[in-house]
Amino acid sequence: METSGTSFRSDIFETYLSVKFELLKHLKRRRLLIVAALAIVVPLIFYVKVPSTAVLFADEVLTFFNILIIISAAMFAGDAISSEFERKTHLILFPTPQRRGTIFAGKYLAAVLATFLVVLLYYVILTLQTAQLFGWGEIPRELGKSFLVSLIYALAAVSVMYFFSAALKRTVSSTIVGFLSLIMVLPIISFILQRVNQEPWFIVTYSANLITDVFGVSGNPFNPGGHQPPIAEFTPKFGLGIAVMIAYTVVFLVSGMLIASRRED
Amino acid sequence: MVEYAIRTENLVKMYGNKFTALDGVSLQIKKGEVVGYVGPNGAGKTTTIKVLTGLSRPSSGHAYVNGIDVVARPREALRSIGALIEVPGVYEYLTPREMLTYFGRVYRMSSKDIGRRLKESLELVKLSDWEHKKIGTFSTGMLRRLTIAKAILHKPDNLILDEPVLGLDPKGIRDVRELIRQFRSEGMTVFLSSHLLGEVAEVCNTVIFLNKGKVISSDSIENIGRSIEQRVVNVKFLKPLSAEQTDKLKAIELVKNVDLRDSTARLGYDGKPESSVQILKRLVSANFDVVSYNVESTGLEDYYVSVMGEEKKEG
Repeated sequence: METSGTSFRSDIFETYLSVKFELLKHLKRRRLLIVAALAIVVPLIFYVKVPSTAVLFADEVLTFFNILIIISAAMFAGDAISSEFERKTHLILFPTPQRRGTIFAGKYLAAVLATFLVVLLYYVILTLQTAQLFGWGEIPRELGKSFLVSLIYALAAVSVMYFFSAALKRTVSSTIVGFLSLIMVLPIISFILQRVNQEPWFIVTYSANLITDVFGVSGNPFNPGGHQPPIAEFTPKFGLGIAVMIAYTVVFLVSGMLIASRRED
Repeated sequence: MVEYAIRTENLVKMYGNKFTALDGVSLQIKKGEVVGYVGPNGAGKTTTIKVLTGLSRPSSGHAYVNGIDVVARPREALRSIGALIEVPGVYEYLTPREMLTYFGRVYRMSSKDIGRRLKESLELVKLSDWEHKKIGTFSTGMLRRLTIAKAILHKPDNLILDEPVLGLDPKGIRDVRELIRQFRSEGMTVFLSSHLLGEVAEVCNTVIFLNKGKVISSDSIENIGRSIEQRVVNVKFLKPLSAEQTDKLKAIELVKNVDLRDSTARLGYDGKPESSVQILKRLVSANFDVVSYNVESTGLEDYYVSVMGEEKKEG
């Protein structure tokens, strides 16, 4: 009979197995390769017109980065659970001696790790570019802060995708609804609120503006999937923005896990 | 006290308040038994299996595997089960080796054991040459065999198979049937859900009939066989009988009536096995050239129809 100690050890081991298996699947489906390739290629596009300072360059290269985070979250978490049910792979995966919660936790962690890898790659390329263009000494100090914000936003984006993947039946609908929520619905709500002079502090995509706002350079010409200040010049506060991202992470992850664990055919 | 490999107690599964999929199902399957679980579509066979394998929670009642409650201790209960449920999906972008290695780890097998059992299982289902090929290129039969390989990878005590030959061609059906026979000879407990009675009759010791979520009848194949025997023996002779031979045949005292067509005769008798033996002996001693001799029985299909028919009338 299992004690709480052995049960906890089993949970950890099973979660580890699930993470490994999910990462293997991301590799085999070439999803990891595609998003990693985007993370390498996209920063290179910004060589077309290099601004005068390293800070401006970093700000510009990171302008579209929240979109890549959303794409990555959609690729790795958008169908993490719905696909098991839709493709009936749950019929071989679940009747095994492992807690369903550990399988789902593994899926989430694998999506987070894969997205973190994309974030890391993007910032490594950006750092190398900045060093090459402006010298190592010119690398903005705020880049680390921006990296941290990107990681936290990645957590929130993966959690939102994961929630829809647990809640919706079809892989296509779960991925599209999750993707559109982050890329369109939340930014539109944010836009409307600002038009009526309300700060959309509770919208996670608005908080994601911190990724570039930390550089203290304003006026990105175009920012789909994030927030474009059209009328009032609102900028997210650092502490509050981070708290909002963490709140989204917790709420959507816990809800997703609960729904997934109770889900039957 | 008998320890059952699989046991359920008053299993009830309701979907909302409208539909009762299982209505107090109690099963007792002894270790080493090969049990057919038979019933029409929608009878509750797959629901029972989903409860036994932890895929679905019962509304009430209990399910035990090797005496372990599946709902209370799923991790322990599922360790001794290998299951093939409906037509499962597979990860088509992986190879059998990659997929089975993961499941081997889930069953806490060592790397050495995984390597050995992976080869053995794939060999058993005739997929050795496909170990490193992408699963996406497999035919339906190969996919089914691969999922069986997954089910037996950890050498489970109990194998639960839900319609294992569904969608397979005759060769695929024969292969799966052979595999089940092999599992039976290895002492594995097999719980086989099927609506193909021929398949069940060929490989099972016991049959449980289920309809509308209730167990209607349960008996050994042997007893069912006895109950469906008719009081008729079919005899095939080498040549059509002459008038004199026909008279001789009718004169055999245990034979009540004779229905003769060409070289074949249907002989009515009292249905006792001893009488059947005596009739054969008399035929041989009277120099009849007997090519074949068999007691006529209705098929399991007829038994199934009669059992389900009774249920309908009662309903």
